[in-house]
Amino acid sequence: MFKGTNASAGIGIGKAAVIKEVEMVIRPDKVASVETEVQRFRGALADTVAQTTVLRDDLATKVGEKEAEIMNGHLMLLADPMLTGEIEEAIKRDSICSEYAIETTCTTYADMFASMDDELMQQRATDMRDIKTRMQQVLQGIKPVDIASLPEGSVIVAKDLTPSMTAGINPANVTGIVTELGGKTSHSAILARALEIPAVVAVSNVLDHIKDGDSIVLDGSEGVVIVNPTDIETEVYAAKRNAFLQEKKELERYIGMPTMTKDGEHIELVANIGNPDDVAKVLQYDGEGVGLFRTEFLFMDRNSMPTEEEQFEAYKKVAVGLSGKPVIIRTLDIGGDKEIPYMGLAKDENPFLGYRAIRLCLDRKEDIYRPQLRALLRASHFGQIKIMIPMITCLEEIREAKALIEEIKGELDAEGIAYNKDIQVGIMVETAAASLMADVFAKEVDFFSIGTNDLTQYTMSVDRGNEKISYLYSTFNPAVLRSIRNIITCGREAGIMVGMCGEAASDPMMIPLLLAFGLNEFSMSASAILKSRKMITEYSREELQAVADKAMSFTTAKEVEDYMKEFINQ
Amino acid sequence: MVRAKVVIRNLTGLHLRPAGVLCNKAILYKSRIQFQTESTTANAKSVLSVLGACVKSGDEIEFICEGEDEQEALDSMIKVVSDGLGE
Repeated sequence: MFKGTNASAGIGIGKAAVIKEVEMVIRPDKVASVETEVQRFRGALADTVAQTTVLRDDLATKVGEKEAEIMNGHLMLLADPMLTGEIEEAIKRDSICSEYAIETTCTTYADMFASMDDELMQQRATDMRDIKTRMQQVLQGIKPVDIASLPEGSVIVAKDLTPSMTAGINPANVTGIVTELGGKTSHSAILARALEIPAVVAVSNVLDHIKDGDSIVLDGSEGVVIVNPTDIETEVYAAKRNAFLQEKKELERYIGMPTMTKDGEHIELVANIGNPDDVAKVLQYDGEGVGLFRTEFLFMDRNSMPTEEEQFEAYKKVAVGLSGKPVIIRTLDIGGDKEIPYMGLAKDENPFLGYRAIRLCLDRKEDIYRPQLRALLRASHFGQIKIMIPMITCLEEIREAKALIEEIKGELDAEGIAYNKDIQVGIMVETAAASLMADVFAKEVDFFSIGTNDLTQYTMSVDRGNEKISYLYSTFNPAVLRSIRNIITCGREAGIMVGMCGEAASDPMMIPLLLAFGLNEFSMSASAILKSRKMITEYSREELQAVADKAMSFTTAKEVEDYMKEFINQ
Repeated sequence: MVRAKVVIRNLTGLHLRPAGVLCNKAILYKSRIQFQTESTTANAKSVLSVLGACVKSGDEIEFICEGEDEQEALDSMIKVVSDGLGE
């Protein structure tokens, strides 16, 4: 059994089709006639463009225009006069073969992209290498691996899948994908999810252990690959596969249904998003709104502060896109752990305990906070926007932020600009201080949203990125659970909405406890919404009280986890 | 030679798709079309050159066109950027 990264959910069972790229040796061979060589290059370029166009059209009809976009990108690069000019220049200057001229020219650009401080640009390095290999294969008469004609029931096993290889996949015949390289956000993983093909990526050295034709079972939800499974294993996974497919179908039934507990309490089931484009996904999975819209994307990967106008457009786009459904927008939550050169933030010794989020915003009202709050208020005219302030630790922060909001409202009134006068203002409860002061803070704000990732980190004094101490990072630790229960109780007593936007909100073992504590709103990644709705509708708050009491009687995280695991599996 | 400045408003800056839209427009003109950023000069007819300039949202760039249809080319470049480069 091999472990890898779960890149696309589902179970795949089939025969291994090991994809091996023919190794090419690229040498700086001299050519006799530079003119003939340039012609040879131009011919190969034309063939590569033709091949890529076929792939693009295939992908557009089979998967969708959006997924075909990457091939359009390749065509643009292949058509670039600068690239082809430089390759021809290298052939002429050094009298070398086309393969070598392509190698050096494309690698220079790939390296340039790889070194850029921008994720989108870094992905272009993969594209450069992909078109480089394809042009060289055409020159050498090497046929590209023909993935399109794999027989039914194939499990693709490869070092990595290039975009052009993934483009050839026929989802009717490919039951799974296993690769040695890649990650959750690599192109092959994204495409596997779009095609709904189970995939496990980043399985180290798996090619050393799999031969063409081996029986393969893979679990793309758990990130597990089994080579030549026993009959029993195959049977177990076949059952799992049926269960997975059935569940998927069943979950689709929950689209359009209200999220109501058995004893009739309505729960708000909403989504976390990081970008206005994510709204489409929220609607696809029938989210009832957005419980956390992170605004950091507006400030990243650029050289100057986003203007009020730019922010206004982005907030308005989300509000309008949700057509009246609520959206909680979190003001800038950023600190010294992020490189944002134009903000001039010094490196913090302890960024998570340092100059960040509301601390930074209140210190830099004029250039950061005021434009953001003005943009939010103006956008509030176009939908149901609520403002959420992150990383609150003391009352003065709440009061100062609210005073600034009131001041801006006055300005907008004076300027005759429309906004929602009753806009709700809430806080993230994610520090130990805010949790302990929850009863006081609840009287000052319109809602709470519990950020469990940071709350766990701050309560347990554990850096969540540090593997060595990851055993301490559990939301099931009684200290964290007591904190969560207290926050919810304080919020309910004050009559305000209490939500949760950390990962715990979609954890099946946590949902029963949160319902029992009285949480009103659960915010999670859009893809978890239907599953959570199904769970919530199967419980009654009343019945869960006993479960919560029992869980809270334990004194270690492990005991709580074991008990909750047993409870949900019964 | 004519020149004019414009601010990039695309959220993710001049990444591949908007760069492609820009270049496809530029190649329609006979004039040489370049743009300058704070740190570099790029050839608007080459996707690689445009990407290499690493232009981000909010950056101001200045187009410089030179040739028989320079004014037409300049107006067209300013318009395509102002219209959001297909986004």
